[in-house]
Amino acid sequence: MAGLELSTLPQQLVNGILLGSIYALIALGYTMVYGVLKLINFAHGEVFMIGAYAALFASWGLGYTPNNAMSGSNPINLLIMLLASMTLCGLLGVLIERFAYRPMRNQPRIASLITAIGVSLLLQYGGQLFLPSSPAPNIDAKVNPYQDNITIPLRPVDGTLVAAAKQLEAKQIETKTAFDGYLERTKESPFQLSAAGQPFKKAAQDAERDLRTAEGKAEASGLSIRLPKGQMIMLVTTVVLMALLNFLVMHTKPGRAMRAASHDFDAASLMGINVNSTITFTFLIGSALAGAGAMMNATFLSGTKIDTFFGMLPGVKAFVAAVLGGIGNIPGAVLGGILMGLAETLVVWAGYDSYRDAIAFIVLIIVLLFKPGGLLGSNKVEKV
Amino acid sequence: MSVCLKLTEATIKFGGLVAVNKVSFELKQGDLFGLIGPNGAGKTTCFNIITGVYKPTSGEIEFNGKLIGGTPSNKIANLGIARTFQNIRLFKSLTVIENVVVGGFLRHKTGLFGAMAYLPAQIRETEKLRAEAMELLKIVDLADMASARSADLSYGMQRRLEIARALATQPKLLLLDEPAAGMNPQEKEELNVMVRRIRDQFQLTVLLIEHDMRFVMSLCERILVLDAGTEIASGPPDAIRNDPKVIAAYLGQPA
Amino acid sequence: MKFWLGRTGSILLAFALCAGIQLLADQQSDFVQRLIVLAGLYVTLAVSLNLINGITGQFSMGHAAFYQIGAYTAGFIAMKFYAGAKLPPELWMILSLLTGAAVASVAGLIVGLPSLRLKGDYLAIVTLGFGEIIRIIVQNQPAIGGAYGLSVAPRFEMIWLVWLLAILCIAVCRNLLKTAHGLQFLAVREDEVASSAMGVNVTRTKVTAFLLGSAFAGAAGALLAHFEGFVSPKMFTMDVSFIIVTMVVLGGTGSITGATLAAIGLFFLPEKMRDLPNFPLGNLVATGIGIVIMVIGFRHIAANFHGKMVERVLRYLAILAIAVVIALVLGPIVSKLPTLGVPVEGAKLRMVVFAVTLIVLMLLRPQGIFAHHEFSWAWLRKVLRIDTDKKVTA
Repeated sequence: MAGLELSTLPQQLVNGILLGSIYALIALGYTMVYGVLKLINFAHGEVFMIGAYAALFASWGLGYTPNNAMSGSNPINLLIMLLASMTLCGLLGVLIERFAYRPMRNQPRIASLITAIGVSLLLQYGGQLFLPSSPAPNIDAKVNPYQDNITIPLRPVDGTLVAAAKQLEAKQIETKTAFDGYLERTKESPFQLSAAGQPFKKAAQDAERDLRTAEGKAEASGLSIRLPKGQMIMLVTTVVLMALLNFLVMHTKPGRAMRAASHDFDAASLMGINVNSTITFTFLIGSALAGAGAMMNATFLSGTKIDTFFGMLPGVKAFVAAVLGGIGNIPGAVLGGILMGLAETLVVWAGYDSYRDAIAFIVLIIVLLFKPGGLLGSNKVEKV
Repeated sequence: MSVCLKLTEATIKFGGLVAVNKVSFELKQGDLFGLIGPNGAGKTTCFNIITGVYKPTSGEIEFNGKLIGGTPSNKIANLGIARTFQNIRLFKSLTVIENVVVGGFLRHKTGLFGAMAYLPAQIRETEKLRAEAMELLKIVDLADMASARSADLSYGMQRRLEIARALATQPKLLLLDEPAAGMNPQEKEELNVMVRRIRDQFQLTVLLIEHDMRFVMSLCERILVLDAGTEIASGPPDAIRNDPKVIAAYLGQPA
Repeated sequence: MKFWLGRTGSILLAFALCAGIQLLADQQSDFVQRLIVLAGLYVTLAVSLNLINGITGQFSMGHAAFYQIGAYTAGFIAMKFYAGAKLPPELWMILSLLTGAAVASVAGLIVGLPSLRLKGDYLAIVTLGFGEIIRIIVQNQPAIGGAYGLSVAPRFEMIWLVWLLAILCIAVCRNLLKTAHGLQFLAVREDEVASSAMGVNVTRTKVTAFLLGSAFAGAAGALLAHFEGFVSPKMFTMDVSFIIVTMVVLGGTGSITGATLAAIGLFFLPEKMRDLPNFPLGNLVATGIGIVIMVIGFRHIAANFHGKMVERVLRYLAILAIAVVIALVLGPIVSKLPTLGVPVEGAKLRMVVFAVTLIVLMLLRPQGIFAHHEFSWAWLRKVLRIDTDKKVTA
């Protein structure tokens, strides 16, 4: 446990924002659907999960199969995966709405909530029957051509410490060679050394430890932020998608219909807005955004394992993000998403790794109890 | 006659909106008092501050000599103020008689553990409440509907059931929020008679909000007119009918 | 006097029933005994959640948390004190049950507080979150076994006690609803503002419902701990809460009868699935298509057909038959397709069945099988008479 290591804080903040951008993409779907239908789309996390599978299968289709992976990549592949994921998720969202939520529209809200839980469980456990999940696969890292980091130095590394570490390196090599030589001579395994061998082993270990400590010190003396290029692309894509969404919602006819429906559903339908197609549109866009988030999460956050429960935690966290920002409020979802990402990385940074999933619920409970409308939302009072 | 309810400069603000602005009036024991005004005048809000749904921002509310501003709703009901609602709020999936029994529950003495064990004292008390409820249903002419689901009643019946439910709390002051809304002329006539009868039988004081002028004028002995949260007139029906300010409030300011 | 005779009689009957279950279970295999115990526990859980969700209308989805708290409390006190206490097992179990109930009800009080400010789906989410927080906290406490769990000694297999608790829970809820007290809970469910204006203390009613409901769940947890001899956080995940909610919703929110029957049914049905042999995925797809046809057909009939009861039932049966035939015919055909021929383990279907039941039920009968009705002979007669009435009027 590192304790509160201030020098690593800037890097953690950056990681938090990157993670938060994924949450923001998912949160947008929750918030748009809630805005129009006043329904918590519990299955949204599972749409996200399906998006990750879509990206995985698309990558396999492009030749990056686990056994016989192509090497090298180009950005077009990434784009194909993104589109595959967004399309499939968009369609899935529309299907779920059409067959599970629309028939429930005149029922009490709790009934739709239960249906949503049912759909979510069905996708999780039903998916288990035919989606590859044990062992959980991940998208081949080679599909991503942007593996390296952009490093922004904030404070240069202390030269004397580096030099000191360099000196220790020689000693480490020397003791290591001596130890290896000894093992070679006696044919003993390093674990079953005779007493005569122990000093060699100890010397090698000590030198190794000294070297690592010195290197660590040298590294910590400098301060830099690593920005993995892939994740930067992820951030840029997210921003572009959000700009598109903003355009769509604010300046197009379906967007206007969506805003009208979320303001007053009944009045909108009386004014001749086709609420059914508006809702379909909302689900299409919200789910496609989740698909984009899923593809980027699974591709750029390296080594992400995909199983049918993949969407559960991000889904919950993104939901909390939407509530935190003020559910039904689009900028609120983005703000909430970023804050959730930061909250999570900060909890890990502070040394409470095992509580990283609990923090979402803690934030949720605090927000709902003290500012139920969220940061950017409004508090509505029931009319008596 | 003693003072039953007294509002002194009662005011409530929601953000920048002053919904009720320094309203003062006094109800004597046994009064039939009407509260009228155009839509959004703050009539229902007045009811809400009297019954503890909202806490008044300033001013005093006195009931039988006791300050009650800001007391929670359920305590107000215990003190003896009962109400009906403009947008009928019955316990929809409960039966008609069950609705009334809930109203009588505040006079219930035996505890929760007794109820869980279904002890004889509980059974007796429940029986007693049901019998009382049945009496009230007879008064509002719903006795033969006692075991129907309250949501299945007609609009006028639902309004009458709300009155029965309020009476079950054995109030001293009854607040009726648009009791005649949605009723046909004949039902209104019957309601008029019924309200008077209830007032006399239970020695109540009645404060009512109503839009139907004919109904208010024929029923109430005194009337207070609100417009935009402020009192613009008060007095006996005849004086109100001819008050130029009231006419202006209803028909718009002459240019 | 007559009252006390009747009361003593029904208590004796309850004990006799429990003793009967115990005797019956004694002759069964360990596996069947386990099922009988778990079924009893789920009845308790479903009926107690029904008090919160169905009767008081406070949609809670964190019932597994109370179950867990009860189980860990029992495990913990057994670890610390059982050896020193030297009590007969029955007495110890009753103490353990009460302690579990007491600690869980304290948690119920804490969860009940948000219900004072939150409604509907928000409350559902917060209670769900609370359940997860409890689980994660427990997972991080090495003193009670952390993620690995805690072994509970001694193990007791008092099946009669499990069912006695279930009967007690049912009796308490039913008694409540028969008195004016219970109406108070229903009134809060129907309309908080109006109940408050009628003098009902809404705050106290809600908190009471949470206290009672969580106490029963805690007691069930204590029994579980001693029966399994082991508790771990994995036994109390979100899925457990969902299963309990499904039982309540399936039975009909507010109906004790419904919750009880749904708990037993939903518990045994998926257990039977474990014995299913492997079958091709195609059969599953065909079954899915059959279910979709059935749902669409049933909804169509419900919306468009207003004729005689008998004709209506016949139409339902016809649709059902068509759906079954399609599923049976389609199954082998689609299984010929390369990707749909892969075998599926029957055991994996457990949660899928839950999910499908939940969705189909919501689509066909959102008010639950029993809706808000309770079983009584009078109700049964009424149902039958309504049917005959319909025939006459139509």
